Amino acid sequence: MKHSLVIGQRVLRELSKDKRLFGLSIVGPFILIYFLKIFIDSMPPYFPAARYAVPFAAFIVHFFSFILCGIVLVQERTAGTLERMFIAGFSRTAIIGGYVFGYFGLATLQATVVLGETLWLLDLDYGGTTLLLLFVTIVMLSIVSVMLGILASTFARHAGHILPFIPLVMIPSIFLSGLLIDPEQLPTWAEWIGMLLPFRYANNIIQELIGSTFEASVVYRNLLMLAGYICALLIIASRTLKEAD
Amino acid sequence: MNAISITGLVKSYGKVAALRGIDLTVPQGTIYGVVGPNGAGKTTLIKTLVGVVRPTSGTARVLELDPLNDKWALRKQIGYMPQDAALYETLSARDNITFLGRAQSVEDLDQKVSEVIAFTELVSRARDPIHTFSGGMKKRVSLACALIHQPKVLFLDEPTAAVDPQLRARSWELFRKLAQGGTTLFISTHLMDEAALCDKVTILNQGKILLVDSPRDILKRGKTRLSVTSRDQCSQAEIESTPEAIAQKLHEFGLPNDISSVEVEPSTLEEIVLEIIREEPQ
Ligand SMILES: Nc1ncnc2c1ncn2[C@@H]1O[C@H](COP(=O)(O)OP(=O)(O)O)[C@@H](O)[C@H]1O
Ligand SMILES: [Mg+2]
Repeated sequence: MKHSLVIGQRVLRELSKDKRLFGLSIVGPFILIYFLKIFIDSMPPYFPAARYAVPFAAFIVHFFSFILCGIVLVQERTAGTLERMFIAGFSRTAIIGGYVFGYFGLATLQATVVLGETLWLLDLDYGGTTLLLLFVTIVMLSIVSVMLGILASTFARHAGHILPFIPLVMIPSIFLSGLLIDPEQLPTWAEWIGMLLPFRYANNIIQELIGSTFEASVVYRNLLMLAGYICALLIIASRTLKEAD
Repeated sequence: MNAISITGLVKSYGKVAALRGIDLTVPQGTIYGVVGPNGAGKTTLIKTLVGVVRPTSGTARVLELDPLNDKWALRKQIGYMPQDAALYETLSARDNITFLGRAQSVEDLDQKVSEVIAFTELVSRARDPIHTFSGGMKKRVSLACALIHQPKVLFLDEPTAAVDPQLRARSWELFRKLAQGGTTLFISTHLMDEAALCDKVTILNQGKILLVDSPRDILKRGKTRLSVTSRDQCSQAEIESTPEAIAQKLHEFGLPNDISSVEVEPSTLEEIVLEIIREEPQ
């Protein structure tokens, strides 16, 4: 735990010193949300803006955390700092935990920016509980992203190898997790694939939350699914983060 | 107790045999040099000893501990300086060293960090980010990182490669100081003449040890080219590089008064090591 905090602090310090990367990972989502607003403005009136915009905001955080974590971890591997961490006495779980802490910090910031901007631009108004749950969902989703990033990095020998995972993991989420199309309208096989994607559960929660009233049990059930996803990925990631070859 | 003992160590990466049966022992408190050309297996050997490479067969012990099975006990007592700097480029030297010190839960960390920074002569640049450093300075930061927890055994993988001669000489002074303090240093280098600075040297080529000896004894394997000029005649001979052999040869000349000069030019350590590697059937 203490080691995870040490690593998390270092990850954050590195991000904050890398002005360009840090700027892009905050300004990038900010601009994307604005593009979304332009798109929504071009839609006919009574277009259900929130139904698309809020999950899109969550997706952006999901996407950015995944890519950033994957690339930074591959860099650690190729630069030899990952090996050095192991030899200095950091354990695999401490390293994974450290990355989760570090990106938790970044994701919190991103979530605040994208959620705040979306609500402001689209003039949406939610109660305190709804906002809190939205926030929790996005942050949990970003932890999933970090785990996916760790997994992807174990298959990559250089940072470029992270790129093929974008079409493999991220793009299906757009089409099959309910971001654009209601999953029930998909062919059964596609709906099944969607169920494997973590974003599906985040989207379930968000769609439930932004309705006029929400069923708490639906929210908690899907949050539990996300938590389960995190645990499963934690186990897989700690197995695949190889220490000796 | 030996700091390091290795028996029958083999490591293959698929079809590539990086180490082909290594046996060696390193007594505590010595500077042990592994000399060999690129691809000899030096890095693989060091990585096996620090527990990030799993041997295909054979055993390796560091401070009588198994690098893989006893890693938690071992890692507190060893320091490792990788071949590449392996530092966080955006962080300062101080931040890099502190980070690895925290991994080892070093007490009075700030104080210890200041000490290693002074020892590696980085005081004036300690707060600058690594990406502004020269190659030689990065090596020193990397060394400081390896020293922060005062390890008993220090593994240095080509610590002086691509470092200017002045800094190289300075580095070896630091290594010697550490050894005098009781630290065992296991140093790899592809610079053959650096072998002269070690207490014991092993020559590694294509995953096999060709020779283990003290630099002094390796030098004895070389030939000395002796030129004796007497009046107008110059006679040359190639003899063994021992003072006795030289004296004997000179006795043959009777050392008369009219011998005006005697020049002795022993082969360099680099020449000898290259010769030993060349003699090995491929
Ligand atoms: N991870 C690896 N996968 C495949 N081959 C490797 C790997 N690491 C080293 N080798 C091979 O093992 C041999 C020894 O490499 P290395 O230990 O790096 O030598 P040195 O450090 O003496 O230059 C080389 O032929 C190298 O190509
Ligand atoms: Mg090497």
